[in-house]
Amino acid sequence: MSDQQISLMAHLLRRAGYGASRDEIEARVAQGYDSVVEELLTPGDDPGIEEDLMYRAYPSYFDKAAIETGQTEWVYRMINNKYQLKEKMSLFWHTILCAGDNKVDNARTTAIQIDKFRDMGMGNFKDLLMMLSTDPAMLYYLDNIESHKTAVNENYGRELLELFSIGVGMDNEFNYTEDDVKACARAFTGWNLAPTIPVFPYGRTPFEFRFDPADHDYGEKTFLGETGNWDGGDIVDIICKQPATARFVARKLYDFFVADEPPVPSWRLSEPRDMDAIKQLEKAYFDSGYEITAMLRVLLNSDFFKDEGVHFAKVKSPADVVIGTMRMVGDHLEPKPGLFFVAMEPKYMGLDLMNPPTVEGWHMGREWINSGSLIDRINFASSMLGNTELPGVKSMINRLMDIGETPSSEQFLDGCLDLLGPMDLADETRGQLTDHLNAGGALKHGTEVEQTEFARRTGETLQMIATTSEFQFS
Amino acid sequence: MASVFLGINDRTFTYSFTAGRSEFQGTGFRNPMDFTLGPDDLVYIVNRSYESRSDGTRINVFRIGEDKEEYVTEFGSYGEEPGQFIWPMAIALDKDINLYVTDEWTHRITIFNKDGEYLSHWGTHGSGDGELDRPAGITIAEDGTVFVVDSRNNRVQKFTLDGKFLGKFGSAGTANGEFNLPWGICLDKEGNVFVADWRNDRVQSFTNDGKWLATFGRPGTGGDCSIAKEQGGMAYVQVPVGEFNRPTGVCVDDDGDIYIADWLNNRVQVLTAEGRFITEFNGDAGLSSLGIDKIKSNPDMIRQRNGVRDFTPEKVLWAPCAVRVDHRGRVIIADTTRHRFQIYQKNGEPILV
Repeated sequence: MSDQQISLMAHLLRRAGYGASRDEIEARVAQGYDSVVEELLTPGDDPGIEEDLMYRAYPSYFDKAAIETGQTEWVYRMINNKYQLKEKMSLFWHTILCAGDNKVDNARTTAIQIDKFRDMGMGNFKDLLMMLSTDPAMLYYLDNIESHKTAVNENYGRELLELFSIGVGMDNEFNYTEDDVKACARAFTGWNLAPTIPVFPYGRTPFEFRFDPADHDYGEKTFLGETGNWDGGDIVDIICKQPATARFVARKLYDFFVADEPPVPSWRLSEPRDMDAIKQLEKAYFDSGYEITAMLRVLLNSDFFKDEGVHFAKVKSPADVVIGTMRMVGDHLEPKPGLFFVAMEPKYMGLDLMNPPTVEGWHMGREWINSGSLIDRINFASSMLGNTELPGVKSMINRLMDIGETPSSEQFLDGCLDLLGPMDLADETRGQLTDHLNAGGALKHGTEVEQTEFARRTGETLQMIATTSEFQFS
Repeated sequence: MASVFLGINDRTFTYSFTAGRSEFQGTGFRNPMDFTLGPDDLVYIVNRSYESRSDGTRINVFRIGEDKEEYVTEFGSYGEEPGQFIWPMAIALDKDINLYVTDEWTHRITIFNKDGEYLSHWGTHGSGDGELDRPAGITIAEDGTVFVVDSRNNRVQKFTLDGKFLGKFGSAGTANGEFNLPWGICLDKEGNVFVADWRNDRVQSFTNDGKWLATFGRPGTGGDCSIAKEQGGMAYVQVPVGEFNRPTGVCVDDDGDIYIADWLNNRVQVLTAEGRFITEFNGDAGLSSLGIDKIKSNPDMIRQRNGVRDFTPEKVLWAPCAVRVDHRGRVIIADTTRHRFQIYQKNGEPILV
């Protein structure tokens, strides 16, 4: 198999998942790119992990008394879900359709929303919006429980349009008016929650959706130019057939999987980075009747996705850093203590899972990096990659030994970069690392003592690569 | 249409009360995985809790009185030092009221006296005779033989009280006498051994020296009566064997009835000694004495509860891990995910419910 095939497959598995070990990448290349894409697009109905083993080890995942427990469970699933694209779609939608447990304050309710994103994230966008509109975490987070026939709260109705489906504008035009927001909000009056059993004395009970017909505004509404006695379902129907909705979903998918786009509020005035790519995705949206899988099929098979120019062009999200590293080093592939500390790392790097900073979600791309988060990103990755007892690192050491009895520093460094990407470094950085390796003497691994030293130097080199700017890109 | 039951259902159980509440320390429980019954209505409980609230990982002692619970003490903590545990799983009591606690992560058995003082521990990780890989259920016979479910080795091992290897039985597989990650264990009054064969979704029984006797149940969610056939206006109702979804705990009462914590089916099933389905407990929890205390100290909780119309989600069992029958004929269920115990009374004579 060629370097190009390895590079493309690694790119696919990083973007449509959280990366893979070199062994898996090679197996996937042998399987064939088209076949792998189709496998990613057609996950099974099972959870993708052995849930019984997970719950046996972590019984607290059932009720998720605290949000940290929900976060930890999600990280376990991210690391281990064999349906990696399906899992990644739960994060994709969470970054867009934002509800935060800092307000919901019912971790299981919040986690159930993530479960729905996982289950429905590759389905029909209309179904997804209907789910969202009856999702207890969302209705609570955006105050729809305070929206009544006689006193409408416009929060959910506004964000549904502005941030969840249509966006403020495109092609220099506004996509909706203030009157549309009001009509939208009226259509969702009465979409509420049943009174919830409180936390004391036996722990939390998840919120449940309840439609209250007595509190619903059945009156006539004009929404995006259509007039009728619309309720929430009608609103979702009208939203989904808008060209702006196709543009919204297309740009979001492109932003997450291909290359960074600016935040949604600027989309009225900012052209997509690759209009031709967006048009292809918009077409798939309408041709398929709003099917997300159809859009992903176009995207993952497209030249704009495969283009080497977009490889390593996205700043890794904290999830990519943490989960990608864990999958690379092969740790927490089954239940064990310590997962909580791993699961908190995305938060330290700026991605507090299930707790977006605002309803707009996270500003991604370069904004993931600041002086604080960069240190966390580097420290975490280098601490893992420097642990030569971890199975994934051991596997890398063995592969590097296979290069030859005494690999040159250049060969050794190339081998490390190949196993961590394959990735490349700026000439200056490469030169510094090579100099360091040369200063350490020959890289022998014939005797037991030499093997120990070879492993130590491998870990050290992997750690140093983790500190490079190149390592921060996916 | 009349019904003819081919099984016998002459036992009646009535819900008695609920004990405990969710607490990380003191007067409540956090993921009670197992418990054992001591003298004077004392109950010793293994609390697993979770990594970010490891203060909830402990053993606590309660007295389950006639109609309410009473906190006595607690001991043990999270960690790998002597007297600590990471994933405590099960607990048993010897004749001297010393407590033996299994830990699925450290692969060892930790021993405390009745006052909670650490005495010793034994167990080393491995697959050889006497070595353990994820010890789960534990029970101690009258003669002091300790039976440990050696889960990842798919066997039961027998030890002396101080951890000397005595024997073993079982291996990995699905045939009779084989296991797939077994969990709970108990002895009946004849000394026969019952094992919750967790990932095979069944319970197996053995003689005291490990000879296979019987297998109960199969994978599934059923177990209540289903119509087998209709003939001449009569519905002949077959009482099937229990169906299980990852059974965790098992116990046998003095009548020989078998109680199984049917974990992912969120219930406890009761089978006859022959394995016929008798009934199931799905949960009837009310407010415990300690629960009422907690609510009374939080007026917001009172207001919230007053607005709730359906308390069903609070009543039902949620992934129960253990069940025991005490000297009063009470079926005590560790309602693990609700951090409490639900208690039923097995009535000596059938009563009109």
